Parts: sequence; C-alpha cells; structure tokens
Amino acid sequence: MYGWIWRHLPGPLFLRVIEAVVLVVGIVALLMFVVFPWAEPKLPFNNVTTQ
Amino acid sequence: MPPRPRPVDPPTEVIPRVEDDYDDEYYDDDEYYDDEPAAKDAPPPDSVARKAVRGVGEALITMGLVVLLFVVYEVYVTDLLSAEKQQDATAALDSEWSSNVVTPPPADPNRQSKLNLIEGKAFAKMYIPVFGNDWKFSVVEGTTDKHLEIGPGHYKDTAQPGEAGNFSIAGHRVGKGAPFNDLDLLQSCNSIVVQTQTQWYVYRVLPMRNEVAGWASNPKSKEAACTGVAPLSTTLGDAYAKTVGQEIVVPTQGEVIAPIPHQVGTTVPADKQARLLTLTTCHPRFSDKQRLIVHAIETKSYPVADGFVPPEMTEG
Repeated sequence: MYGWIWRHLPGPLFLRVIEAVVLVVGIVALLMFVVFPWAEPKLPFNNVTTQ
Repeated sequence: MPPRPRPVDPPTEVIPRVEDDYDDEYYDDDEYYDDEPAAKDAPPPDSVARKAVRGVGEALITMGLVVLLFVVYEVYVTDLLSAEKQQDATAALDSEWSSNVVTPPPADPNRQSKLNLIEGKAFAKMYIPVFGNDWKFSVVEGTTDKHLEIGPGHYKDTAQPGEAGNFSIAGHRVGKGAPFNDLDLLQSCNSIVVQTQTQWYVYRVLPMRNEVAGWASNPKSKEAACTGVAPLSTTLGDAYAKTVGQEIVVPTQGEVIAPIPHQVGTTVPADKQARLLTLTTCHPRFSDKQRLIVHAIETKSYPVADGFVPPEMTEG
C-alpha cells in the first residue's frame, strides 16, 4: 500500500517527500476533526451521567 | 624415376573483410549477459502471496496507528476544543452578568428567585479551592454530550443552586477539559463554591462512609472547615442514611441525583429537604463501567458584592 502510493507520487524526490507529508497531515486532520468526533459518542469511554 | 613435379600451392586467396555489424552486435549481447550475476541479487518479482501478506501487515500497522491517534485525540485534542467552548460560554456569562440589570433580592428571603436556565448556556461558575485557584468552570444547563463538551452540566429538573433538594452536576473525567478529573481526591469538608449572578453558595463535602460512625469524636469535625458538616443521618434522619461524601454506583442508579439521594418513591416537602450538591463523573478513569458520585451540603451563602470574595475561596 505505502509502496504503491510512493511509486504513484509524481515529481522528483524532494517533491515526493513534500507530497507524502501533505498526505499524512491531511489524513490525520480528517481523523481528528471528522472521524473521531463522529465515532467517539458510540464508544463506551466517557459517559459521566447517571440514567 | 624422375621426380614428380611438386604440385604448386595455389596462392593464398585473400578474402576481403566483410563490413557488417553483425559480430559487434553479438558481442554487445554477450556483454549484457555478463551482468547476469549482479541481477541475481535483486529480489525476484513479487508473488501474489507476498503482496497479500505485505498488504495485511501494512493494514494492521495502520490500524494500530489510528488507535494511538484516537487516544491522543481523546486525551489532548478534546481538551483544546473544549477549552475554547468553555471560554466562549464564560465570556457570554460574564457579559450577561455585567450588562444585565441585577434582579433585586427577593422580598421574602425564604423565596429563591429562580434562575432562568437555557439549555447549553452557562448560568453559574463553580470553584473547588483545594484543586487550586485556576480550577474554575462555568456550569451549563443540560447533560447531553454537546453540553458536557462545554463544561460541567446541570441535570435538568434537579434543584438550582441554593435551593432545597439536590443541585446535580455531571462532568467529564478524561478529555473535554476533564473538569472532574480529580473528583476522587475530594475529602470531607472540602469546599465547592458556586457563584450565580446574585449569590455565592458554599457547599462542603459530606463525611465519607467510614467517617460517619465516629464523626462526633473525630477531631476533624471540630475544624473550622467542618462547621455545618455532619453525617446527614444524625441531623436529618434515616431518609438521608445513604447520603455520604463519596460513593461509587452503577450507571443505572439515577437515584443518586434524586432530591433526597436514594429515595425515589418518597415525597418529602421541600422545606424538609437538605440543600445538597451532587457531582457525577465516570469511574474508573477511561471507563464507563461505574459512576463516581460526590455529595456536598450547603453550609453558607453570601450575596454577590463588588470586590467581595468568600473566605472559603482561599482554602486549600
């Protein structure tokens, strides 16, 4: 997977490194601001109220 | 016999060199094959099985990283997001308090002026001096996930600050600002101060379960901080026998926030009810198996005045 992505990044080496970093940051941001806030209430970690 | 004449060798025929590139090409090819040993070191082309195993391995590593990221999100990132919301709520509350015409104190001191509570809006500030001067949160109305992201949330339909009954607040223990992170460290007689627009209310944690029996002979009960604090079963009767400073219950035990904790069916007139404060959070940390409950009783109240800060605020 990672090898496939690396081979498909266009441009010379330094450009590829920059592209890879941008990809990683983008995916982390997607997780932090979209996926985790959506998933968190569904997980049994942090309920503080009594019923 | 005359010698036979020797046959004359025919002159060597010189064949002119044929100019064609065929041989050269052949040798080029040969050189190519000389490289073969170096080529043998490179891995053979990936088989399907090899690709599949590598794909699975990479997927597992990726999932592990995602789980780690989730922990970072839960413990740190939600703190940042909630800090901003808490700040906004506090700013809104401050501007409301400073701009608002202060409602005149009620003519009858026994009659509380009801606060107008709006879901998701802060209506009071909360301080726990033993947790330090910087421990302060604006309490919002409501206890849904959305509300608790902002700060500690007041259970709807429970008493208001200073009212007879049970003023109950839920708060996160991990992440989201973690207001109630250290709730398990509260000792009996520790003060919890609640400020509304017009009043300061000082609540103190009730004696713990193991302190109830010997409270009168306990030197702690003579301390200034413990004035007005005594096991409720001795001062208010058996209905309050189960109400102690701290308890751990299962999530379904909603009776801990009843006007008289653990007494759901019985109706007690409001003037016979103690003025309690109950805090709830999850227990143990990082789990939602149980709930940690802290009960406190109002011991004092002061009207809000410019420059006045209750002496209890410097405790700790």
